This record gives sequence, structure tokens and C-alpha cells, in this order.
Amino acid sequence: MTVDALSSVCNLGVLDSLSQSSIYEILEAWNSFCLITETIVEGDDVNLSTFYSKFQSDVSSLCKFGLRSLVEEQFLKCLQDMLEKHSAPKFWKNFDAYNDVPHAEMNDRSMQEDEVELLLCKALEEISREKQYQEKCLLMLVNSLQLCQEDNTSVEGRHLDMEKIFFSKYRLIVSSVLMTAMPRQFTEILHQYFKGRLEELSTIMAGDYEENDESQDNSQPRNMDIDGIYDQKKTLENKLVSNIGMVVHNLRNLGFTSITEDAYASTIFLLLKDKVYDLAGDDYRTSVLESIKGWIQAVPLQFLRALLDYLGDSMSYLSPKSTKSPLASTPSSCFQKSGKPSEGIVRWQLRLEYFAYETLQDLRISKLFEIIVDYPDSAPAIEDLKQCLEYTGQHSKLVGSFISALKYRLLTAGASTNDILHQYVSTIKALRTIDPAGVFLEAVGEPIREYLRGRKDTIKCIVTMLTDGTGGNNNGPGSGDSLLEELNRDEENQESNSLDDDINTDDKQTWIDIQRWEPDPVEADPSKGSRYKRKVDVLGMIVGIIGSKDQLINEYRVMLAEKLLNKTDYDIDTEIRTLELLKIHFGESSMQKCEIMLNDLIDSKRTNTNVKTTINQLSQTGAESREREVSFEVIDATIISSNFWPPIQDEDVKIPEPVDQLLSDYAKRFHEIKTPRKLLWKKNLGTVKLELEFEDKTLQFTVTPVHASIIMQFQEQTSWTTKNLAAAIGVPVDTLQRRINFWISKGIVAESLGADSNDHVYTLVDDMADGGKSVTNNEALVADDDAESSVASVEDQLRKEMAVYEKFITGMLTNIGNMALERIHNSLKIFCSTHPVYDKSIQQLQSFLSGLVAEEKLEFRDGTYYLKK
Amino acid sequence: MEVRQEASMDNLSTVERHPSPSKQPKASPVPVDTNSVTQRLQKELMALMMSGDLGVSAFPKGESIFAWVGTIEGGKGTMYEGLSFKLSLQFPLDYPFKPPQVKFETMCFHPNIDQFGNICLDILQDKWSAAYDCRTILLSIQSLLGEPNIESPLNSAAASLWSNQEDYRRMVHKHYAAGEACER
Repeated sequence: MTVDALSSVCNLGVLDSLSQSSIYEILEAWNSFCLITETIVEGDDVNLSTFYSKFQSDVSSLCKFGLRSLVEEQFLKCLQDMLEKHSAPKFWKNFDAYNDVPHAEMNDRSMQEDEVELLLCKALEEISREKQYQEKCLLMLVNSLQLCQEDNTSVEGRHLDMEKIFFSKYRLIVSSVLMTAMPRQFTEILHQYFKGRLEELSTIMAGDYEENDESQDNSQPRNMDIDGIYDQKKTLENKLVSNIGMVVHNLRNLGFTSITEDAYASTIFLLLKDKVYDLAGDDYRTSVLESIKGWIQAVPLQFLRALLDYLGDSMSYLSPKSTKSPLASTPSSCFQKSGKPSEGIVRWQLRLEYFAYETLQDLRISKLFEIIVDYPDSAPAIEDLKQCLEYTGQHSKLVGSFISALKYRLLTAGASTNDILHQYVSTIKALRTIDPAGVFLEAVGEPIREYLRGRKDTIKCIVTMLTDGTGGNNNGPGSGDSLLEELNRDEENQESNSLDDDINTDDKQTWIDIQRWEPDPVEADPSKGSRYKRKVDVLGMIVGIIGSKDQLINEYRVMLAEKLLNKTDYDIDTEIRTLELLKIHFGESSMQKCEIMLNDLIDSKRTNTNVKTTINQLSQTGAESREREVSFEVIDATIISSNFWPPIQDEDVKIPEPVDQLLSDYAKRFHEIKTPRKLLWKKNLGTVKLELEFEDKTLQFTVTPVHASIIMQFQEQTSWTTKNLAAAIGVPVDTLQRRINFWISKGIVAESLGADSNDHVYTLVDDMADGGKSVTNNEALVADDDAESSVASVEDQLRKEMAVYEKFITGMLTNIGNMALERIHNSLKIFCSTHPVYDKSIQQLQSFLSGLVAEEKLEFRDGTYYLKK
Repeated sequence: MEVRQEASMDNLSTVERHPSPSKQPKASPVPVDTNSVTQRLQKELMALMMSGDLGVSAFPKGESIFAWVGTIEGGKGTMYEGLSFKLSLQFPLDYPFKPPQVKFETMCFHPNIDQFGNICLDILQDKWSAAYDCRTILLSIQSLLGEPNIESPLNSAAASLWSNQEDYRRMVHKHYAAGEACER
């Protein structure tokens, strides 16, 4: 075989020139070389030294004949054969046990982790030993070759080159031989190994970390902490790291660099992910970003730093020094030289942090709805998310996910308008933190606005939120973050804005502004001006829901009227404040009517005092001073200029004679004082404080005039039939029945069936035996029938105004068949331009039409309206 | 009240001959003030809308105020009771000096209405006056349904069947149903 190889490789021309003896010499040297090679490759250290001199002479004699390449090849081939036939199968055989185990099961078997670890270490050590030995053999060859080369040309540099070439060749052989035979489960085993090690490390670190937390109450990485436990831990940790380091080093030497890195990288990421989930969890009240960063510093980076430092020496393993034993390096010194982090560590840190940001961001985005629900409390989570997004720039992910969450959870029939509005406000505030430019807010807010427009009570809720500070039915203290505050805030904003405008004329300021300019995010919709959105103003966005501020103001006027009419003490400080704020926002002119209403109240107070004092003077001085049953002291009037107030519900009621007399006297006096003006009483409005005296107790009530009139009638006559009572008070029977329910519910009046089935009998309850409901209840009870308001609601007003168009709409639909909202709106605009000019918004039309649908006059199908047949 | 008046007026105006019903109104030599026409039509529309339920109504078909769709319900006690008929009204630019073009869009079996929906009614042709308006036209047509002019029929079959009320009603409904079916 060897001869064949010789003849096939050698240059035939050279052969001719060879003498017999030289041929002999060559053959002998070759045979001996082959023999020695095989022996030493299979053998051990002992053989190496014994054969060294012979080997050297063989090599040099072969080199002499120019057979150097042959020598090299033969030697490497021998090594490869050895690896292929012996070492590699032996190495892989170690892992045979895991061959049949499916991947999933592999993960579960944590009990076997130690086993895996041991096995891996052992196998690696073994093969490393073999490799080392082979490297030694290789070194021998290299030395021999160098020796014979020195005879000819000796250049130091070339020796090193030769060595390098040989070792890289060898390395290639090793890794390719191992790779080709690598079983599938090997990567899995590596994963398993690193997972186990890292977890171990993490628990060591984490224990330390938490301890730190407890003792120092901060989440700083614990580098500076030096005490006994720490040292102990550190040695433990170092041991662990050096252990891992050795495995990694061995693996690298075998050419598994990329597999290894993959394995520990993915393990670290998995661990980090778990950590983020663990830390972030469902708690939005604390910021977790810092602690995650701290953990990254403390655990994976520390590990990597140690590992990289440990491997530092072998990083340049192409140099001949790499052959020295890994144990020779001193890993214990690694930690101390972390003064300037290496490039690798920085890169790792960036990778890990990005991953952490992304994981946290995904986690937070998926829970954004909940986070925003408890917004003011969850501000830290929002702040975290903001930082994450700044890092990752995946805002669009947020928009998509949040919109779908909104649609699924908020914009459903079950959610109350108040809740939706509160969520909307919270969303605005929260997203304002994340994205001051308001681009994403625009996208997220649109579905909410769209939905709210379809709700009838939206405007009412908004106005209530604006004025009350609490949204309508107060559900918890959380809803206290009112729009009123927002009004205040806006005021400040606007002031600073106007200030800005003034300074803007300054060149310097302009320059600064220009420098501060930032482009809109990519997602920005260019059709929406970027100028306006600079200022994200909650109120503006709320008004945006309704479409026009006029509607909002109108609703506010109604609500204000209601409030003012129910006042008994002329105290309107809060209303004035609110109005001032609204004026700033909506402009002076649009709030004019409301201002007049407030002024009415202020004037009322003055006029009221004036009238009362002058009347009293008159009655004292006047000769014909009558004996009054009731004095003027008990009456306070609210005088309104009805032109500027919303339509007020009129209801006829006969009030008791003495009071009526009093009112007309009052009116007379008013007319005397303010001559051209006359006072017209709205007798059904206002409040009456009254006291009911029974034999054994007195009860106080604050009720409407109608209620008072009703109970007054029972003073003289304790039993009334419905019809008679209604006639006496001057209200329709059904109104009476509705109103008297108040007294019945208080247990003061009892209802019984009369002779006529339609005519009930009401009797005053005298003894009040079952006084449980109201006995000893001295505090004023306010009789406030729901849906009983003194001012016509905006819907009623709208309905009245729209009634003109109802015939138009009916006519339209009779002839055209079915029409969509838009088309009805447009037709009204085109054809209704003469007498009652159509000036309503499409939203108003929509709410009117849905009213008609509710009255079963129209039908709404597939987006179009039909006439109900 | 008004309905009756219209009806009696209709009866008086007998249709002696039937000039081609689809005759185009000639272009007026008078310069047309479109704006005033629009205003008048708008006023008519408003009046019609506000007049309440008289069994007739009309509304512009699209965005133009010159093309309307009308609806007439068969008068009570007539053969046409319970049926509602769609019409198209096309107003000329020199309205009201020329009558609008009115056609039945729903199939209507009637002595004075042909199969294409053309109507033979004097006030829509030579007896037109600017004093009429959309409402009176529609009311006249409504009363024409109940009181056809048998002497000058467009649809002679209908005219001959008029004497036999029972068969006539059947034919009306049959045509109406066929028309409905066609529409679908």
C-alpha cells in the first residue's frame, strides 16, 4: 500500500534520476515512518519520546528526497483515520443513551440533568485528552520538519507559519470528522446542560440579589457588596463559571463554536424571558425595567463576562499558545478586571437589553388595556413601555393590538358610556406619555370616538364629567380624575402656549424651535396636519367625539339651568369657575348665554333682597298692613331672563292660596321696582322646604311645589279621591298619581281603591305606626323623581326642532324607498333650504332617525332607513 | 275638500282627442330663469311635504330638483284601493309655463293610461296652467284613477272592461302584481 502511494505520488522524472541505494533508503525511511506514525498515533506519551529520534531521522531523510508533502499528508491521514475510527465514535457513543428520547421528554427530565452534565464533562475531557495527544504528535512532526528545513533555509517566521497551517488543518479535520458523525440530540443536550448550569448560577446570584434587596432596599447590582457570604458565593460562582468555561472551551476546541454559542445564547434568552415574565407579571404599579436591567447585569452578563474572560486566552487559539492546558489560566482574576468592558460584552449587553425591552414591551402591550384601566396607578408600567418602545420602535404593534383589545372589551353594548369615556380619557393621558406627538393616539382614539358617536348619552356624560368632576353615577373613587382638572391643566397650557407665541417673534427662540424640530413618526397620517397635534389636549379630543362644540355647549346649558334652578342659596361659585374655564376653551361668545344665566342668579340675589326689604318696610309703615299668614322671609326668588335660558317645562299647578298671594305681591313689588319688567312665576319649579307636624313628631322635607301642594290639601281634608285632588291642585290625573307616589312611599299618604275603579282614594296616615321608613328622620329628604327635570332636555329640544323635517323624511322615503343616512342628510341640505333651513349635523339627524326607529315609524336595515309599513 | 274640487274639475274637462302623450314641451322662446324655477319647485316640494297625508307624495329622485319620483295611493272606494303607484315627474326648465312630463312607473291597468305608463290627462297637455302645481297634478291623477274617461281611452281593453267592475278589479290587481313581479 505504501509503495503504491509512493509511485502514484512521485514525479516519474525524479524517479529516473534516483540511484538504487537512494530508492532503498527512501523505501526504508518511508516504511519506518509509516510504522512509527501508526504506532504513535495509536499509542501514548511513552511511545512518543522513544520514537522521537527515529521519527525525526526518517522525516529528514524523506524530506531530503523532496517527499515532504507526502510525509505531511500521510501523517494527517493517519490522524484522521484514528479520529474517524476511534475517537469520534467513542465520543458520540457517550450520548447514545439519549438517542431515542423525543425532544419534549428530554426537557422534562430535569432529574437527569446532573447525569447529562457529568456525561458531557467526561466525554469532553476524554476527547480533549485524545486531541491533545494528537496535537502533541503533530507538534513532533512539525518539529521534525522544521529541523530538516533549517538545513536549507531557516527563517523563524516561516516556522510559525508552518505550525499555524498544520494546526488549522488539523482543527478542520477534527471538527469535520466530529460534525459528520454528530447525532441529532447533541444540540439538545447542550441546551440542557447550559440551562441547568445557568439556572444554578442564577439561583446563586438571585439569592444574593434578593438579599441585597432586603438589606439595602435597592436594586443595584451587587458588585460593591463585599462580605463573607458574598465571598463564599463568589467562589462557588467562580467554580461554576470555570466549570462551564472549560466545557465551552473544550467544545470550541472541537470546532463546535457556533453550536455552543447558539446553545448558551438561547438558554440565556429563555432565562431572561422567564425573568421578565416573572418580574413584570401582572403588577403595573411598579417600574420593572430597572430591576430587569439590574438582573441582566447581575446574572447573564456576569456569567458572560466571566466566560469570555475565561476564554480570553483561547480566543486567539490560532496561536501556538492555545495548546497549553486550559487549567493553567486563572479564572479567579477575571471579575476584577472588568474595568473596561470588552467589545463582546458590550455587544452581548445590547443584545440582551434589546431582547428584554422587546419581551417586556410585548408583555405590556398585550396587557395594555388593563394597564390603562387603572391608569393613574399604572403609570410606572406606562413609563416602562415608553422606554421599551423608544428602544424597539414597534409602535405600530401597540396600535394594532390595543385597538383590537378595545373593540373586544370596551366598545360593546355592555360597557356604560361613562366607563368608555373614562377609559378614553385614561387612554389619552397614558398615550400622551408614550407618544407626545399624538400620532398613535389618533389611530387608537378613532374607534372609540366612532363608537361613542353612536351612543345617545355621550354628550350628557361628557358634560357631567366636565362639570361634576365625577362621571354621572359615581363608580368608585377612581373616576374622580375629572375633566375639570383637565380644564385647569389646559388653561395653564394655553397660557404657556400664548407665551411661546410671543417669544416666537424672537429670532433666537425661532432658531431653538427649529433645532428642536423632530420629524413625525413614520406611521403619521400626512393628511392630518402635524401642526395641531403637537398639543394633545384631552378636552379637544373629547369635543372631537361630538363633532361640534355647539352641541356640547347646548347640553351644558341645559345642565347648568337645571342646576341653577335647584339652587336655594344663590351660591354659584363653582359654576362661575367652570364657566370661566369653559370660556377659555370654547371662546367667550359661545358661552354668552350661560354667562347671562349666571348673571341672572347674581341679580336675583340682589333683587330678592331688595324686594323683600322694601315690601317689609311698606307693610310696616303702610296703614292697611294685612295680617299675613306667611311672611316674605320664607321666600327666595330666582329671576331668570327666559330668552337666554333653555326652554323650561311648564306645568300648571294651583298652589295654596296664601303662598299664591305672597307670590303675586312679590311680583307686584318687582314690577314697581323694575318698572317695565314683569315677573311671571313658574310655579311648578323651585323647591319647598316644609315641615309636617303630627301628633307625636315632626318631619322635614324638601320637595317640589307640586308635592307641597298635594300634601297641603290634606291639611284640611284627610281623604281625597284622585279626581278631586287633581282638580284641586290643577294638574292632570296621571301627573298627580305620579307625584303622590312620593308621599305614599314615605308612608304619609295611603292609597286605597275607591268606589270607581279609576278613582282611587288617598288618605292621610295619622298614626304612622310603621314609621320605620321615615320616623326620627329629621334631615331633609329631597324629593327627586327621576326623569323629572325642570328644563327640557337637549333631546327634547332637538326632537321639536327636527319634527319639521319628519314629514320631509317620510316623503323622501315614501318615494325613494330606502335611503342611507348620508343621503337623507344631503337631500335635506339640498331641498330644505327655504323655509325651515336644515342646519343640523349628521349626528343629530342620526339620533333623530334612531328616535323615529324606536317609535317604529322607520326601520333600519343594512345601513339604510325604510318606512315602516 | 280640495280633493273633491280637483275631482270635479277633472270630470268637466273631457278629453276629446289624445294628442301624443309623450310630446315634448317645446323649448320656450322666453329666456329661462333657472333660479326662479328652482325656487318655485322647492316651494312646491315644501308645500307638498307639509300638506300631510293625502295619499300622494313626491320627492326629487337624485340631487336635481327637476326630476321627481311620485307616489299615488289608490283612492278609497275605488278599484285601486290599497295599491300604491310610482310615477316619474320631469319638470321642464321653463316650468311652470310648460307642464311637467308625468308617467306611471308602476304598471297600471286603466283606460287612460297606456302600457308604457303614459297618461292621457288634459291638464298635463293643452289645459295646463301655471296655476297648477305638483300637488294638484298628483291629486288629479289620483282622482283620474277612480273616475276614468271612457270616451277617449288609451287602453281600450280597460275601457271596455270598466262596465264589469268585478273583472275590472281583477285585471287591475293582476297587472299590479305583474308589475311588482317585474320590478323584482
